[in-house]
Amino acid sequence: MASLEFLVIIALLGGVLAYLVGKLSKVVGASLTVLVSGFIFVSVAYFGLNGSLDASITYLPFVSFEATDLYLGTSFGILVTFIFFMVSFFNPYFVDKFKYPSLYSMFYLFSLAGVLGVFFTDDFLVLFFFFELVVWTSLFLIPLGKSKKAASWYYGFSAFGSFSLLFAIFVMRNTAGSFNINDGLSMVGGSDQILVFILLMVAAFAKLGAFPLHIWLPKVLGNSPDPVTSVFSGGLEKLGAFVAVMGLVKLAPVGPVIEAIDMALGQYLIAILGALTIVFGTLMAIRQDDAKKLIAYSSMSNGGYILVALTLLNDTSVSGALYHVLIHALASTAAFLAIGAVNRQTGTTKMSELGGMIHKMPVTYIVYLIAIISMAGIPPMGGFVSKWLIFQSVINEGMILIAIATFFGSIGSFLYVFRPLAALFLGQELPEFRKVIKEAPFFMLLPMIILSGLNIFTGVHPSVILQYINNVLAELGVTELGITTWTLSGNNGDLYPALIAVVFGVGVVIAFIIFIVLKKSRKVDLMDTYTAGNFVYTEELLHYSVDFYAPIERLYEKHINIMKDFYKGIAKKVQEFGSFVKYFFFTNKPEITVLWVVIVLGILLLWGDLL
Amino acid sequence: MSAVLLIAIPILAAFISIIVKKWSPYMLLFVSFGLVILLGYLPFEIITIGGFSAPYGISLVVDNYSYTALYVVNVLFFLVAIINVCNYKKLGTILLVSLAGLNGLMLTGDLFNLFVFLEISGISAYIITTTNKKPLATFNYLVAGTVGSILYLLGLIILYNMFGTLNMQDMAVRIAASGATDIEVALPFLLMFIGIGVEAKLLPFNSWVKGILGHSNKLTGPMIAGVYAAASLFVFGRLLTEVFVISDTFMLIISVILAFSILAGEAMAYSSTKVREILLFSSIAQAGIAVLIFVSGFTGYAVLFISLNGFSKVVLFLIINHATEVVGSDEVIDLKGLFVNNKLVGASFTATVLSLLGLPLFAGFFVKMGILSQLFSSGDYVFPAIILLSSVVEGVYFVKLLTKLWYKEDNLPQVKFELPLVYLVVVISLLLVVFGLYFEPLHEQALVLVNHVKGVIL
Repeated sequence: MASLEFLVIIALLGGVLAYLVGKLSKVVGASLTVLVSGFIFVSVAYFGLNGSLDASITYLPFVSFEATDLYLGTSFGILVTFIFFMVSFFNPYFVDKFKYPSLYSMFYLFSLAGVLGVFFTDDFLVLFFFFELVVWTSLFLIPLGKSKKAASWYYGFSAFGSFSLLFAIFVMRNTAGSFNINDGLSMVGGSDQILVFILLMVAAFAKLGAFPLHIWLPKVLGNSPDPVTSVFSGGLEKLGAFVAVMGLVKLAPVGPVIEAIDMALGQYLIAILGALTIVFGTLMAIRQDDAKKLIAYSSMSNGGYILVALTLLNDTSVSGALYHVLIHALASTAAFLAIGAVNRQTGTTKMSELGGMIHKMPVTYIVYLIAIISMAGIPPMGGFVSKWLIFQSVINEGMILIAIATFFGSIGSFLYVFRPLAALFLGQELPEFRKVIKEAPFFMLLPMIILSGLNIFTGVHPSVILQYINNVLAELGVTELGITTWTLSGNNGDLYPALIAVVFGVGVVIAFIIFIVLKKSRKVDLMDTYTAGNFVYTEELLHYSVDFYAPIERLYEKHINIMKDFYKGIAKKVQEFGSFVKYFFFTNKPEITVLWVVIVLGILLLWGDLL
Repeated sequence: MSAVLLIAIPILAAFISIIVKKWSPYMLLFVSFGLVILLGYLPFEIITIGGFSAPYGISLVVDNYSYTALYVVNVLFFLVAIINVCNYKKLGTILLVSLAGLNGLMLTGDLFNLFVFLEISGISAYIITTTNKKPLATFNYLVAGTVGSILYLLGLIILYNMFGTLNMQDMAVRIAASGATDIEVALPFLLMFIGIGVEAKLLPFNSWVKGILGHSNKLTGPMIAGVYAAASLFVFGRLLTEVFVISDTFMLIISVILAFSILAGEAMAYSSTKVREILLFSSIAQAGIAVLIFVSGFTGYAVLFISLNGFSKVVLFLIINHATEVVGSDEVIDLKGLFVNNKLVGASFTATVLSLLGLPLFAGFFVKMGILSQLFSSGDYVFPAIILLSSVVEGVYFVKLLTKLWYKEDNLPQVKFELPLVYLVVVISLLLVVFGLYFEPLHEQALVLVNHVKGVIL
C-alpha cells in the first residue's frame, strides 16, 4: 500500500530538499527531481494499477483523497506523473542555464505534488487548492526561459480558468451542501447546472488552451525552458482535460436536445468550439518558423480533438478522447524533448537556422519521427488508433461540419509536423554546426527512447490500455468499448492494429532494402542551391524551410491576430478605465474629493425624495 | 490591568518626551513594546470612565473584536516603529500620541469619543506624513481628513438628536426600540459612512491616498497603508456591525461604492507604472473588499483579512520604499532586477504577494476561501464574481511586477537592505507560510469573532 498523502508529502519535502541541495550543487539538486518523480511515478503506477492506493489522511490538514471510484483519477495520475518522471531526466542538463536553478527544482516537484492532489481528491475545495498550487508553482518555471511576458499571460488565463472553477465549485456546494465532487456534479440541476457547465468549460478551456482561451499556450510552450514546455504540453494541460471530463461527461448534458443529431445543445456548442480549436491550431501551426511554437499550436489543436470527442458521450468517442489524452501526452512530450535536445546542442529551435541534424543526432531524429507520425495519426503509432476512434464517432453522430474540421486538422498536421522533420533533421548540415554537434547524452536519450517505445506500443497493441480505459468508462457510466486481444470494434467494423503494424513493418523493410541497394546521393552544402548568376546576400532566405507554405499562409495571414488583439484590447480597456478613474478622482485638489462627497450625498437625498 | 492604560501610558509618555526630547525615540520603543506585552494581561470587560453607567459615561470596550484589533495594531505599530526609530528621532512624541489615538479608536464604545480619537490619530497622521516632504499632499490629506471627520460628526449629531445617546450599544438598542424606519436613519449613517470612508480609503473619497502613499517613505508607507488602514477598517467594522442599521437603499449605495472601489482600484493599479502606486491602488481595492465583508456580516473573516492585509502591506511598503529611497525612483523600470542580489528580501516580497493573491500554501488562501465561502453561502453571486474578477487583474499586474523585479541581466539597482528590515520581512513572510499550512488557529479565531457579533456586550 502506498499512501497518497505520503506521496504528496514526499513531493513537497523533496522539493524543499532539492532546493537546499541545489544551493550546493545545481546538478545534484536537479538530479533529485529525477529520483523523487521516479519514486512517485512508480508508486502511483504500481499501486494504482493494483487498486491499492491508500487514501487515508493523518498529517495533512483538510486534504482528503478518493477512496473508491479511482479509475479516472488514477489513469490521469499515472500518465502525468510518468510525464514528469520522463521530463525530469532533462533537468540536470538544463538546470545550469537557468537563472534560479535550485528554485526550478523545487517548483518542479511542487507542481508534481499539486498534480497528485488534483487527480486523487474527492473534495472540490482540495481540488482547487492543488489546482492553484500547480498554477503558481508552474508560473515561476516559465520566466526562466526566453520570455518574461509569457508568465503574466499564463497567469491571466489560468487565474480566469481557476476562478471559474472555484465559482462552479461554490455553486455546486450550495446545492449539494458539501464539497464532495461526485455529489456536487450529480446533484446540481436547473439553471445552476447551466452555470456550472459554462464555468467548468471555461476552466477546462483555459487550462487546455482551447479556442477562445488559447492565447497563452503558444506563448508559454514556445518560450519556456524546454523541460518546462514538455511538462506543460504532456502533463499540466491534461488538468484541463480532467476538468473537461467532469463538465462534459460527469455532469448531465446541458440544454435542450437537438433531435437531428441526438445531442444536447451545450455539448454541441462545445463540440463546435473544439472544432474551431482544431482548425485554428492547425492554421497557426502551419505558419510557424520556430519548431517549439509549431508543436505548441499542434498541442492546441489536439486539445480540440479531446473536447470534440468528449462531447459525444458514447463508447468509441469517450474512449477515443481518453486514449487521445494519453497519445498526445506521449507524442508531444517526445517531440518537445527531441526539439529540446536539439536546442541544447545547437542553441536554437528556429527551423530556418538548422538542418541536417540526422547526421549527428540520429536517435533524436528517430524519436521525433515516431512522435510526429503518432501526432499525424498515421499507423502504426498510437495516434492512429485514437483518431480512428474519434473520427468514426464524429461521423456516426452525423456531425458533418465538425467531421470536416477534424479531417482538416488531421490533414493539416501532415503539412506542419513534417516540416520541422525536414528542416531540423533532414537536408544539409549547416557549416557552423558541422564540427561541434554531438548526439545528446545517454540520460537525455533514455526518456525519449522510452516514450518512442510507448508511442509504437500504443499503436500496435492498444487493447491492453483500452481495457483499462474501459474501467474508466464504466466508472463514468458510459458503454464500454468492444475489445478482444487483437481487435477493436468500432461503429464501422473491427480494427486489427497489430496486423496494420506488420504490414507497415514489411513496407519499411522493403523501403530500407531499396535505400541500401540504390546509389548513394551526393552531399552538397546547404546553400548550394539555385543561385546561378546571382550574388546571394542573405543566404538564409534560400533555406527551403523559409516561407514553405507561403501560398496557404497568404489566405489567412491578415486575420491571425484577431484573438490576440481582442485580449490585448481587454487589457487596454482595463488600463484605460484605471487611468480614467485616476484622472477623475485622484487629482491634487481636495475640493474635487469634497465634490464627490457632495454628489454621493445628493444622490441619496434625491433618492429619498423620489421614493 | 485596565484598558485605560493603553491610552493613558502613551499620552503620558508623549508629555514626558516633550520635556526630555532626547529620550523620545527610546520611550517610543519602550512604550509600544510594553503595550504589546501588557495586552497579554488585558481582561475582557467594559470600563465606564468615572463610574457613570452606559448612556451617560464614556465606556471602553474590551471584547474579542477590539482585543484582536488592538493586538494587530499595536504589533504592527511596534514593528514599524522599531525599523524607523533611528531615522525619525524627532517624531517620537507624535508617534506616541498617534499610538494613544489608535488604541482609543479600537477601544472606545462611545460614538463621540470615537470622533475625538479620530481627530487625535488623524492630526498625528498629518504630522507624520510631513516627513514625505510633500507639503501639498499633506495639506490635501488634512483637508480631506477634516471634511471626513466633520461629516462623521454631522451624522452623529443627527443621530444624537434622534435617539439621545452616544453610547454604541445603547444607540443600537434605542434604534431598534424606537421603531425608526431604515430610511430615517439612512442619512446620518451615510454621513458617518463617508466620514470614515475617507480615512479607510474608499473610492471616491480617497484622493489623498495618491499624494501620501505615492510619495511615502519607510515610515509613512507602512504606517499609513499598514497600521492606519487596519485601524480605520477596524473602526468601520465596529460601526457597521454594532451600530448601523442598513436599509436596502443604503445597502445599494454602499454596494455600488464598494464594487466601484474594488474594480477601479485594481484597474488603477494595473494602469500604474510606479511600484508605490501599484501597491496603494491595490490597497484601495483591498479596503473595499474588507468593508464589503463587514457589510455582509462576516466579521471573523473580515478581521483576519484586515490583519493579514496590514502585515502584508507593511512588508511590501517597507521593501519598496527602502529601495525607492536608495534608487531615487519608484518606476518599475528603475527597480527592475531589484531582487537578483537580494534574494531573501525578494523571497519575502514574493511570498507576501502570493499570500495577498490568495494562493495556496499561504495564509491568504485560507482567508480568501473563507470569505468566498461565506459570501456564496449567503446566496450572493455578484460580489464573489466581482472579487474573483478583480483578483484576476490583481494577479496579472503582480505577476508582471514580480517577473520584472526578479529578472534583469546587468546594470542592476544597487540596493542593500539593513539587517533589521530583512529580519522583519522574513519573519512576517515565514509566518504567512506557516499559517498557510497550519490554519487551524486562524479558523478558530474566525469562529470566535463570528460568535462575538452583536450580543456579547448587552
